[in-house]
Amino acid sequence: MNSVPEPCVFIVDDDDDIRTSLSRALRTRGYLTETFSSATDFLDACGPDQSGCLILDYGMPGMSGLELQELLVTRGYSLPVIFITGHGGVPESVRAMKLGAIDFLEKPFRQEVLIKQIDAALELDAQGRRGRDRARNAKERFEKLTDREKEIAEILVSNPSSASSKDVARHLDISPRTVDHHRARILEKLRVNSVAELVDLCISTKLFEKP
Amino acid sequence: MRISLGMVLALCLAGLQFIAVTIVVFSSFLTSEKVLLTHARDLLSDVGTNTIEHSKGFLKPARGAAELATRLAESEVISSDNFEQLEKLLFQQLQISPQFAGVFYGDQTGNFVYVMRSGGPGPFRSKMIMWKEGDRFTDLIWRDNSYSIVEQRNDPSDTYDPRSRPWYQTASDQQGSIWTDPYIFFTSQTPGITAASPVFDTLGNLRGVVGVDIEIDAISEFLSRLNVGKSGSALILNRNGDVIAHPNQELIRTRNADGTFRFVNISEIGDPVARAAFGHLKNATDLSVDREISSRFDYGGSTYVSTVMPVISEELPWTIAVYAPEADFTGQIKANRTQNVWIAATIALISGIFGLVLANYIHKPVRAFAVRSSLVSQGEVSASEPLPNTYRELERANKTLVQAIAERKKSEAEFGRTFDLASRGMAQMQAKTGQITRVNARFADMLGYTDAEILKLTAHDISHPDDPVAAFFFEDRGNTRSEYLHEKRLLRKDGGVIWVSENVIVIRDDAGTPLHAVVTVDDITERKASERKIQQLNWDLSHSSRVNAMGQMATSLAHELNQPLLAITQNMDSALFLLKENAGDIADLETILQETDNQAHRAGDIIKALRGFVKKDGAEKAEFDFEELLEQTLQLMRSEAKEHGVHITTAASGVDPVYGSRVQIAQVLVNLLRNAIEAIAEGGGDARQITLSASNIDNGVMIDVVDTGPGFDPTNDLFEQFETTKEDGMGLGLSICRTIVESHGGKLWYQTDENGHSRFCFTIPALVPKRAQEKLDEFSA
Repeated sequence: MNSVPEPCVFIVDDDDDIRTSLSRALRTRGYLTETFSSATDFLDACGPDQSGCLILDYGMPGMSGLELQELLVTRGYSLPVIFITGHGGVPESVRAMKLGAIDFLEKPFRQEVLIKQIDAALELDAQGRRGRDRARNAKERFEKLTDREKEIAEILVSNPSSASSKDVARHLDISPRTVDHHRARILEKLRVNSVAELVDLCISTKLFEKP
Repeated sequence: MRISLGMVLALCLAGLQFIAVTIVVFSSFLTSEKVLLTHARDLLSDVGTNTIEHSKGFLKPARGAAELATRLAESEVISSDNFEQLEKLLFQQLQISPQFAGVFYGDQTGNFVYVMRSGGPGPFRSKMIMWKEGDRFTDLIWRDNSYSIVEQRNDPSDTYDPRSRPWYQTASDQQGSIWTDPYIFFTSQTPGITAASPVFDTLGNLRGVVGVDIEIDAISEFLSRLNVGKSGSALILNRNGDVIAHPNQELIRTRNADGTFRFVNISEIGDPVARAAFGHLKNATDLSVDREISSRFDYGGSTYVSTVMPVISEELPWTIAVYAPEADFTGQIKANRTQNVWIAATIALISGIFGLVLANYIHKPVRAFAVRSSLVSQGEVSASEPLPNTYRELERANKTLVQAIAERKKSEAEFGRTFDLASRGMAQMQAKTGQITRVNARFADMLGYTDAEILKLTAHDISHPDDPVAAFFFEDRGNTRSEYLHEKRLLRKDGGVIWVSENVIVIRDDAGTPLHAVVTVDDITERKASERKIQQLNWDLSHSSRVNAMGQMATSLAHELNQPLLAITQNMDSALFLLKENAGDIADLETILQETDNQAHRAGDIIKALRGFVKKDGAEKAEFDFEELLEQTLQLMRSEAKEHGVHITTAASGVDPVYGSRVQIAQVLVNLLRNAIEAIAEGGGDARQITLSASNIDNGVMIDVVDTGPGFDPTNDLFEQFETTKEDGMGLGLSICRTIVESHGGKLWYQTDENGHSRFCFTIPALVPKRAQEKLDEFSA
């Protein structure tokens, strides 16, 4: 679809009554909701950029909740998932949590628990979204460095304790002054004030992690 | 009725002889008579034709003579007033024609020349009447054969005038040749006829008339010479019924009162036979027939045949009539025929007697054989005794008979022993009444009666009132059943009830009417008791199987229950929130509460279905709504299917109610559905589909469960107990299902459908009345 600016609670459950009542209860409380009766309907309608969270029924005909969750992870969806199930088995819940589910709620559940998890999920989604934004910015800025600057930045980040200009100059067989110059350019281009900030940026955005 | 061989032989031999002879005689009798009659008629007809030709030939010269004379007179070869010359001419004519009696010529003035045969002084006489100047001279001249005058004299007293005579007037009136009617000549007193021809001058004026008299007694003589049979006669009748010719000339003349002669009429002739034959032919219309008329008549005790010929010609209006006694033609043959009949009768009699003797001879050995056979069958003569001299065929029949008798006696003895000593209860009972006529010790013992007591009872007396008695013991019309086999209860003398397996064999006569029945019974009371015990165990087993099924269902059922519960909590949350926030309106709240109520019922329904399923049932059967049961069962199974990602579709609408134990049928459905779900869960596949359909069939409902699973190994007997393909299964499910379905009178079977999918089908009978009707039919059939 399109990117929804407001975070939305997506509900996927094959039971009409559940969808109706759940959606109504959440809307009453001021959430934006959207409901789908099957996993495939949801996949058809929503892309990976959706913001919000997903309330997913565990047992559904066709594609099950767990299968959908796996697919979402594979396709790079970032929506946090809250499972709801009629008969929560321990093995299933473990599997779901491993794949990053917020919670595995057994029907019927207390409404405050659900609300709490939805809020947590939305917060997580928002955080994730923010983090992803920062990383993307960092990446964009990083791409503006020259190759030599990228090389020096990587050395600085990978070994911050022995990242004096001399060390680096010796390592690269160039003059320490040149290294200093490059370092100043790197900090300026990446909009950080110190090497410590540089290291933090790179780690938090996973800048050097190979996909 | 059967006829004896001897009778048949006698009848055939004698009867055929008689019939053959009779046919031959009768046929020859008929044909010979017919041929003879035809012959007689032909003969009479020939006589008539002959007579006609003779008469014509006889009269022909007269006309020729008259016409010759006429031509001569007209040609003036002879001057008509030259009477001497005319006389000579007429004389010559008369002389050469012996049948002519006279030849004459008369003219307009009254002159007349008449030359005739005479008995007087000369053989010929001429009469000449001449008128000279008003005076009349009559001369009579007798001449001899050479025309010489023998005597001559005048006859002044003669008053004869030719012009007044009928022949003259008729000829002049008709202006041509004529014949007069026959008449008796005055002079000769013989019958005769006159031919006359007018003579004209060159201007065509009549000058006179030439005439010839012919004596026709010659015709009578001809008739007397004719042979008409042995004693038949031919006669000639004139158109007025006068007999003008008859074999006996004397009969045709009669004298008038004035002494002149005339012909006798046919009705007065002295020939009585002719009178009888032709007396009715009195006038011209009777006589002028235009074809032969043949007839038969009786006279004086004899039969005659007669023929009347057509009139000879217009000028000669004569009719020839012929008659003859039939005996002349057929007498001999009739005599011969009578003789033949006698001979034939004698032959028939003799050959008939011979036939009887022969029949008796042929039949004798057969009779002896029959007598012997009946003696053998009564046991008075031993079958092994030698056979009297007889035919080869009978000898063979005897051999077979002797064997059959021996075997029958043997089997009778054996049957009697078998009957009496059999370890099974046996009884013989009469048709319709069911009267017990014979029992063995075992039978009496089984029911606790003595032989004497039980022989007073009927099949109805010893049957349990609720159990069927074979139709044979009621109205058995049109029934051809020869065996009944059923299990039923019998009543003991002490009031006890025993279960027996009863086999009724019906003995019928050739026409199919039942005579009696041989009833064999086995006491199966114990077997019945153990069957009941087994059934009880089966019920227990099916119950525990259901409880077990319940356990398997528990988790998915919990889910199924949790669904509405969740919906309820969500709705309650919404409602409470709205109330708390004082937001929303009444309508919103109402909708929410309404839905909550629905959800609560949904949960209730599931629990109801559940309770219905686990209920320990006594297998009480009742009519119930099958569609409702189907819906409940699906409610129980839906979550389990969902859990395995299986979709269940149903096709059942308008299904009739069925009769049976609701909980047990539900168990069958659950079992089949679970099997299908498990088959799909294990076998995978993409379709993951179960199709459950129910449809009405004759007397019930058929249910199909088709799954898209991998199917079964056909070598496995799926319905055998402890036969299972599941790791944790006991192999009881399908076996219990089949027991349940069959105890309902239905069937459960497995097959592979056209797409290779597993398909389980079972049938459940319909309404109670139908079922009951069926049961009734079964027993009365």
